Amino acid sequence: MTRPIITLRDVQKYYGDYHALRGITAEIGEGEFFSLLGPSGCGKTTLLRTIAGFEDITSGAVLLDGQPMEGVPANRRPTNMVFQSYAIFPHLSVAENVGFGLRRRTDLDRRAKQTLVEEALTMVGLGGYGARAAHALSGGQRQRVALARALILKPKVLLLDEPLSALDKKLREQMQFELRRLQRQVGITFVLVTHDQEEALIMSDRVAVMFEGQIAQLDSPQNLYRRPLNRQVADFIGVMNFLPATVSVEDGQGINADVAGLGRAVIDPEQAPGGATSGAACVGIRPEMMSILYENEQTDRRIAEGVVEERAYYGDMTYYDVRLDGIEKPVTISMKNIVGRPVLDRGTATRVSWDARSLVLFNAA
Amino acid sequence: MRGGWLRIYALSYLVFLYAPIALLPIFAFNDGTVIAFPLRGFTLQWFSELTQIPALHTAVANSLMIAVITALVSTLLGICAARAAARYDFPGKRGIMGFIMLPLVLPEIIVAVSLLVVLLQIGIRLSAVTVILGHVLICTPFCIAILNSSFQNLDKSLEEAAFDLGETRLSTFRLITLPLVMPGIISSLLIAFTISLDEFIIAFFLTGNEPTLPVYLWGQLRFPQKIPVVMALGTLLVALSVLLLTLAEYFRRRGIARTGGKDTGGFL
Repeated sequence: MTRPIITLRDVQKYYGDYHALRGITAEIGEGEFFSLLGPSGCGKTTLLRTIAGFEDITSGAVLLDGQPMEGVPANRRPTNMVFQSYAIFPHLSVAENVGFGLRRRTDLDRRAKQTLVEEALTMVGLGGYGARAAHALSGGQRQRVALARALILKPKVLLLDEPLSALDKKLREQMQFELRRLQRQVGITFVLVTHDQEEALIMSDRVAVMFEGQIAQLDSPQNLYRRPLNRQVADFIGVMNFLPATVSVEDGQGINADVAGLGRAVIDPEQAPGGATSGAACVGIRPEMMSILYENEQTDRRIAEGVVEERAYYGDMTYYDVRLDGIEKPVTISMKNIVGRPVLDRGTATRVSWDARSLVLFNAA
Repeated sequence: MRGGWLRIYALSYLVFLYAPIALLPIFAFNDGTVIAFPLRGFTLQWFSELTQIPALHTAVANSLMIAVITALVSTLLGICAARAAARYDFPGKRGIMGFIMLPLVLPEIIVAVSLLVVLLQIGIRLSAVTVILGHVLICTPFCIAILNSSFQNLDKSLEEAAFDLGETRLSTFRLITLPLVMPGIISSLLIAFTISLDEFIIAFFLTGNEPTLPVYLWGQLRFPQKIPVVMALGTLLVALSVLLLTLAEYFRRRGIARTGGKDTGGFL
């Protein structure tokens, strides 16, 4: 991580009796694209608003660029925010909206401000839209105006509160890409709040996954997906099959596991990010880490036997629920639909290949 | 014709309601002191006589003063109540708001009599001030009803955005909140002004020896020869009321269009 621009030290927040933030400690680096990911009510928006200065914290500390922010209101913090509803001022033109934050800049004359506004609009792809009335814009255009309005002040941190949730799928995917491009171009730290795990993985350098007012895991997208710290995180990011297992940990020998439905396997300690203890445990494996073997297909990977119980055809992919011998709950397996792989019917007996390196070990709970 | 009888019923209902008002301008221009058909001829005499009655002018001035102050005070109270209702949650909010809105459905005669009793008991002399007090009481609920829709339609994050972009709380109110709720405020001022201007019962009970216009008019009805003049005055008042209410509704709708909200239907 680069030099920290945001430092959170044991941030606690109560609303009356409700404990909204339960000790958040984290550092966010300069120029980083950082996401706060979690289900609704997990405190991610509250955390964003405490960084912005809209909410006081009960205890702990928020530092921006090394400066303690206690008692500093939102209008004097080096942060700007893009709101979920965009909060475009409906009675002002696009240019007046974008230039709103420049009103108090006495060092710039009118012409300089106009140039800045036009530059900001061009940057978000709305060059020439300045004279339009703000209430006549489409959802995607409002989003861009909100971005230009916040970025024109060159804040140290740009805060984005679920900025893409109101857009339709196509536009959302396009804006994800553009936001990322914009962030690289301006080099400003972006902190994004989202409940969409895919969005967080696509856009971020690092992601903090939050549950019930706490950070459950703070990691790069790849680590979050491949080595989730616990079952809750594993379940929230993508799909994962959980299989009961019996584990014996021997010094220097790695972790020996007897996994229901799959058999014995040696698990690398790196694949047990939450630590491992001997006894009952749980092993996770992603749907794409298993394959259905067709006909006489050969493999040097491990093989388990099972029966197709259900299937869902997605066009590019097919998802199978396969009941493996020896366990009740079927496992989900995803297969790319390529030539030579017909979609299997329910009830087909099949062989499933897997690899011990793709297993993740969790403690039993 | 679909709903034929219903349509006829609705039409006769409207005629019954508004026909008496239509009589006002008819007899205001009628050249005769008796209010009866057939009409005699066209005259502007009654309107010119209006300009020559000092007591009437005092009553008009009195009414205007009371109406303007009532409009300002009740709109100010309405702004506070509507903003609090839209922004904050506090214990007993529904009960408190219901209590404030109560005069809307309370018979005016009850409000008037009880106010009179209370004022006399605590020894306050009846004057324009007491009329204003009564009028503020009945106008405030109307103001709140209008201003509520303005404040409810105002997205809270608009104010936060302005504050976040470096403005102070005060300049945010001036630059964002005020312009966006201004149509509602104007509409509220106009409604309160109109209600106060032609309110009779409370004014009749609480006015001292300086009557408001409606109270003065009522007094004049005892003299038959003055009735055409009253008709002329009534015509002017109806025209003024319609104009003000139309303006008020125009501003209310413009406010909703401006903030991009949906019209949930005022009470006009």
